[in-house]
Amino acid sequence: MIYLKDIKKSFNQQPVLKGINLKIGKGEVVTILGPSGSGKTTLLRCLNFLEKPEEGIVQVGDIQVKSKKATKREILSLRRQSAMVFQHYNLFAHKTVLENVMEGLIVTKKYKKAEAKRESELLLEKVGLGDKHNYFPSQLSGGQQQRVGIARALALNPEVILFDEPTSALDPELVGEVLSVIKAIAQEGITMVIVTHEMSFAKEISDRVLFMDGGVIVEEGSPLEIFNAPKEDRTRQFLNRISRDFSVSFLEERAN
Amino acid sequence: MGKAFDPSLIVDFIPTLIYYLGVTLQILAASVLLGMVIGIAAAILRVFRIPVLNQFVILYISFIRGTPILIQLFLVFYGLPAILLFINIDISRMDALYFVIITYALSNGAHFAEIFRGAIKAVDYGQTEAAYSVGMNNSQSFFRIVLPQAIRIAFPNIANSIIGSLKDTSLAFTIGVMDMMGRGETLIAATAHALEVYLSLAVIYYAVVLLFEKIFRLYENRINRHQSVDVSVTG
Amino acid sequence: MTIDILFIWTAFKEIIRALPITLILTIFPLLAGFIIGLAVALIRIYKVKFLSGIANGYVSFFRGTPIIMHIMLIYFGFPLLIDQISKKFDLGIQSNSIPIILFVLTALSLSAGAYLSEIFRSGIISVSNGQMEAAYSVGMNSFQAMTRIVLPQAIAQSIPNFTNIFIGFLHTSSIAFIVSQKEMTGAANIVASTNLKFLESFIAAGLIYWGLTIIAEGLSFLIEKKATAYNRGGVQ
Repeated sequence: MIYLKDIKKSFNQQPVLKGINLKIGKGEVVTILGPSGSGKTTLLRCLNFLEKPEEGIVQVGDIQVKSKKATKREILSLRRQSAMVFQHYNLFAHKTVLENVMEGLIVTKKYKKAEAKRESELLLEKVGLGDKHNYFPSQLSGGQQQRVGIARALALNPEVILFDEPTSALDPELVGEVLSVIKAIAQEGITMVIVTHEMSFAKEISDRVLFMDGGVIVEEGSPLEIFNAPKEDRTRQFLNRISRDFSVSFLEERAN
Repeated sequence: MGKAFDPSLIVDFIPTLIYYLGVTLQILAASVLLGMVIGIAAAILRVFRIPVLNQFVILYISFIRGTPILIQLFLVFYGLPAILLFINIDISRMDALYFVIITYALSNGAHFAEIFRGAIKAVDYGQTEAAYSVGMNNSQSFFRIVLPQAIRIAFPNIANSIIGSLKDTSLAFTIGVMDMMGRGETLIAATAHALEVYLSLAVIYYAVVLLFEKIFRLYENRINRHQSVDVSVTG
Repeated sequence: MTIDILFIWTAFKEIIRALPITLILTIFPLLAGFIIGLAVALIRIYKVKFLSGIANGYVSFFRGTPIIMHIMLIYFGFPLLIDQISKKFDLGIQSNSIPIILFVLTALSLSAGAYLSEIFRSGIISVSNGQMEAAYSVGMNSFQAMTRIVLPQAIAQSIPNFTNIFIGFLHTSSIAFIVSQKEMTGAANIVASTNLKFLESFIAAGLIYWGLTIIAEGLSFLIEKKATAYNRGGVQ
């Protein structure tokens, strides 16, 4: 239900995506890993055309867009198929928590205000922020803001939720609360594409893992395959580097 | 209403008017230089909160920023002679040019003071701490470390303020100064081609402003050449 | 020469009767300028073909020339234009039957539009891109994203700049006196000439402008506090 064909993208003459082909089925949770500069975030942002690929076809649900001929209307339809959770939350700063979640419902899904309010209150309850309806984003911690961001995405009931390094900007002690919310959602069968550096989290919730490097998908497979028996050298090197850091912090935690 | 509109006159008038551009620029230069002195002094009084003088400066700045430049021109024009008569100085015959320079100097001084005050406060306090830690006293750390950096921070706003002052000088003719506008008025009286004269003047002012902006931009790049450039993180 | 303090009060009462006209000369151009400025800012930000060249030229010219020039050019230029158009299309409009204030308001509106467009432009740019992206990601189109998310924040953050422009144009209204438009400075001049008390009259005028400026700054402070309350953080 997500289909990418031959996606190519360059920044300043430098190719960042060198021909990506990908199929994601309904209900799948796919994690994209890779070093910085690998193109993983760019790929994610092509799914909702926040980055416009130069070539290739993007299809989410029933909406297919050919990059070269993409019209404004097509892009808008495509964007309405998905919802994104941003690394820096990007909550609407001038609206309360409740209003943030309601905004998409009212404007895009044309809900009446009362209905939108009811839905939003339930969602905020679900992410553990039922008591913070009238707070402004500036009054919340990073973890709380991100959970609002997740509620905002959920409200739209999209075909897929896109997560752009959802915990990278958080203080370490706040990461856990956000990850548990994402885990809970994954278990409900919502299609998700996640770009993250949280390896154990990726291992736990993914149906499939993609490893990207230098603008191509180097390897993909189940978490077991990728983490325990990677086929490619590059994948192995990357995982070794990460797990070295991972085991160091793991040991530190044990020592404490 | 007057004779028919003649576009070629616009070009014809330019040399006559440009001749008096010098007067306009003189007013600007003198009032900016004096204004700098006043501005830095006032900013120091504000930043270091020297008692009594601080309040006086606050009032002065508030008044200048609270009244139209035209009113300030008239107040200086009618008020300065009155005040000086109290100490028996008679300047009633002084050339209007000096009244104008004094008015604009006071006006610029107030604006510069606010800009410098902001710029001084914007210099990271860590700089002062570092200065103390290498043994400087208050005035050394201020004049050698803080003020030079403040001037660099203040530069864009000062540049804008100077351009604003250039535009303000267009009002000097109302108290009889023979600058560009003044010459324009006599030209209008002589030829009745008001629109063409004003178009010439507008062209000259526009050209001078663009020139100033260009010069300021170049200078700003020069004084900022040692600043580090932020590297943006690509997503 | 002594200063007749009592006369300052007399002059004050006389001059303040022209306050309504001064306020019209201030507020109307700002309202018109608000609309012009917003349109011009958006045209420049979105680099609309052909129009954005004109917009850039407009802003550059009106910010690069003294306001008295704008008033003079329109005051002397528009009547000629109107007479030409009137003749061509047989509209029968006589330019000298049009009250001066309309020319002054036109000039000031165009001037305000240029300054306000710069404020809008920098205000909009200062709202982070992430806000726009989040708006897109919940399915809004550009118009919705701009009007519901970006502009409200841009305007709230630009209130100090708007105030400066308001005060600037309050003061600029005094220039209208040069083309014999009745307003406070003109009134001050009349009081001064009739009574030969120039200093006292202009002191009175200065005090009125000063007072109005202080009131405007105070109101702006309160409005800004309310409008940017969302950014203050802390726990309620």
